[in-house]
Amino acid sequence: MPKTEPSARPRFDPCVTMPSLQRLRTAVKAGDWPATESFIASLPDEDDRAFAASLAARIKGAEKFLERVVGERPGEPLPRALLAERYIHIGWDIRSGARAQYVSGEQFRQFHAWLRRAEHLLIELCAEHPAYALAWRARLISARGLELGQSETRRRYDRLVEHHPHHFNGQQQLLQKLCPKWGGGWELAHGFARECAAAAPPGSLVGVLVAEAHLEHWLDLDSGADERYLRDPAVRDELVAAAAASVWHPDFHPGFHAIGAHGTFAATLSLGGHYAEAAPHFRELGNNASESPWNYLGDKEAAFIKHRTTALAKG
Amino acid sequence: MSQENLDVLAIRETEVDGIRTVLTAGGGAVTAGLAFRVGAADETYATRGVTHLVEHLALHRHGVSDLHYNGATATTYTLFHVTGTTDEVVGYLNGVCAALRNLPLDRLEIEREILRTEAAGRGGGANRQLPLWRYGAQGYGLTSYAELGTWHLSADAVRDWAATRFTRENAVLWITSDTVPEGLDLSLPSGPRHPMPVVTSALPVTPAYIQGEDGTVVMDGIVRRSSAAALFAEVLGRALYADLRQKGGYSYTATADYSPRDTEFATITAFADALPQKQDAVVGGLVDVLARLRAGRIEQAELDTARATFLKAYDHTTDLAAARLPGHALNLLIGHRNLTTEEHKAELAAVTLDDLREVARELYANALLQVPGRGADWAGFTEAPQHSGGTTELGGTRHPSREDASVVLTVAPEGVALSTPGGVVTIRHDQCAAMVAYPDGGRRLTGLDGFQIAVEPTLFASLGPDRIALIDAAVPPAAVVRMPARDPERIPRPRVSGDGEGPGARGLVRHFFQTLGIVVFGLLTVVWAVFAVVATALMFGGSGPGLIPVVGVWLGLAAPVRLFKAVWTARKKTAAESGAG
Repeated sequence: MPKTEPSARPRFDPCVTMPSLQRLRTAVKAGDWPATESFIASLPDEDDRAFAASLAARIKGAEKFLERVVGERPGEPLPRALLAERYIHIGWDIRSGARAQYVSGEQFRQFHAWLRRAEHLLIELCAEHPAYALAWRARLISARGLELGQSETRRRYDRLVEHHPHHFNGQQQLLQKLCPKWGGGWELAHGFARECAAAAPPGSLVGVLVAEAHLEHWLDLDSGADERYLRDPAVRDELVAAAAASVWHPDFHPGFHAIGAHGTFAATLSLGGHYAEAAPHFRELGNNASESPWNYLGDKEAAFIKHRTTALAKG
Repeated sequence: MSQENLDVLAIRETEVDGIRTVLTAGGGAVTAGLAFRVGAADETYATRGVTHLVEHLALHRHGVSDLHYNGATATTYTLFHVTGTTDEVVGYLNGVCAALRNLPLDRLEIEREILRTEAAGRGGGANRQLPLWRYGAQGYGLTSYAELGTWHLSADAVRDWAATRFTRENAVLWITSDTVPEGLDLSLPSGPRHPMPVVTSALPVTPAYIQGEDGTVVMDGIVRRSSAAALFAEVLGRALYADLRQKGGYSYTATADYSPRDTEFATITAFADALPQKQDAVVGGLVDVLARLRAGRIEQAELDTARATFLKAYDHTTDLAAARLPGHALNLLIGHRNLTTEEHKAELAAVTLDDLREVARELYANALLQVPGRGADWAGFTEAPQHSGGTTELGGTRHPSREDASVVLTVAPEGVALSTPGGVVTIRHDQCAAMVAYPDGGRRLTGLDGFQIAVEPTLFASLGPDRIALIDAAVPPAAVVRMPARDPERIPRPRVSGDGEGPGARGLVRHFFQTLGIVVFGLLTVVWAVFAVVATALMFGGSGPGLIPVVGVWLGLAAPVRLFKAVWTARKKTAAESGAG
């Protein structure tokens, strides 16, 4: 990860912060299946594959290309997984990220229709390839959007981790469902994050879940209460310990999620006024940022700059 | 001598008083069954229960006796069954036929009461709603419905039913004896052999789903009868148990059943119970198990285990021919082929994983899934029709609801319709399966498609006696079920807006529906579908699917197959309500 002097504007585009991803974007945009497939196949880490799949799913019009490939390669799992991912993304774009009360009935109707199209592919895919992580991960997202309930989401998660224990991105998806906004509760969410972190091998990404749960909790609280919540030394200590066991651990191998991981620790610590603890994460990031977590803080670019400036000055 | 030859020799076909009869030597007590090709699916909603009435009347003389006997009315046949000494068996069968020749109709009122009491205590299984959604209020759908006929059918109507259906040509007899016992007098009236009931459909699109109560996920589908299909049900049941119970811990019971429906087709039913907080996972798990089997990702070991279960029944049954006799007889009754033991074993041996996959696909293509809570559209199932539509065709008088002006009843010479903000239900009089009529003017009409409309003079504007008279004149007399006066408490009264709790538009509509008992597709219905299905499973199992179910007959008809043991739990509220029609 580049460690330039952090003064320039942050860069959010993953293809800029991680230039190898540009190859994937180019391949998908060009409708080049061999290049798309070989890029994803070259990634040994399931979490990196998940990251790549969601990057591909964000590319406008990719569904046309992927539908063609699915037609040409009916038995292969990757085309269907990417197409389902793309359908889910199209649906979520229509729904928007707003809370449910601000989403219209027509938006929901279309949202659910896209998710059903994705489910159709994913049910078949999971039936044929029960250990296929990309499919189960996508089904965690569709389950949330289709409001299939806690137990069904959990079942899908169990099927994923049966074959891929410590699947960080799958755990991120379930953590969302365990938050109150999706019908869960704070005890559930924090408990799950801690449980996963405790079970994960040293240097794994999974510790980030602890910070994500706190950040979600912060987001849910009213102004004032939210800051007090993260100021709590107990929260700080937990964040520091989680970072030490994950992104600061010598065994940590930075993959595509690393920028998001440092960003989450940086944001959460900084929001709680723990600048000294946030600063190293900002130094590690340099000018590299990611949509999440900074889009939780309003104008993502302004938020990143503000928190980085404060943390580096005071920390 | 080969097993096949043994089979051929063991089961002998003959005739007793014009009744097709199968015999085989048995050891110890003699068991016999007299079965008629008539059951619930041969009735109409208005005559529902008439077969059961005849069965009860035919048996009443045997009321108190130590003899092990029973009678059962199933979906497509009625069975009189006995185990005892030769003399006892002869006495029982002679008594049944004597009673059928000359029904003790002086007992009719008492038997009506008994049947209603029996219905009130009988819950029906988890799958009780599926037939009416699949078939409507006719034919095979009637197992979902209350025995309306027990309220109003005259002695003549019951006698006619016995005379035309309980005939010698329409019967088969089996006896575990190598000869016809002395002293049998089974003379019965002559009449035509009746074909199997016509298969109707109320499901325009499948796979389909309906919403049901909490705690239960149940699905059925129709497949061609075959050894592969029977094995598939065994594989499905084990797969559900492994995923939902052993792996997931979402269900206590998770199983599947194969029951022949008629000569060509069988119903495969999958069932799983669920804790309310786990039921989404049960639906998801069932969907995934089906998808796996459909995808053909079936282990050879799964097939082998299922096959071994079937074959084991042969090893553990000392008296094969006797065990297979009831199934053999019932196949004769409905015109289904009978396999020898060797033929059946050969069929089982020939079933491949591809065969199982084909059954999975056949099942899914016309599946009907009942889920608690939210729907199953996400999994590719289409909601079964909630409205029948068609109001604009009716040009009669319009009667707005006294509770909610957006709900309007239309009364026309050709039918009635109820339009609500959600859609329209229309029942044309020539498509009326039954109309329950109360002396106070209340009418409940059920269409052949299963939709119901309650026409309550108290709840609609200007719905005077002249309008009710118009309906009465138009509904075919055979569909009319005259009921005794209702308890005044049960006559609905409109609830004025502002009464009670917050009258949001939806709340009003919902309340309105509750008040009227307007039930789309008969939530008030009661069933003893399960018993019927059980009996069918027990009795028709003898060929094709194998002999395991038939062995159950030896244990008495009460011995249900696994599935229904689990789902026998009662829903008494429904049963009690049905008592009022």
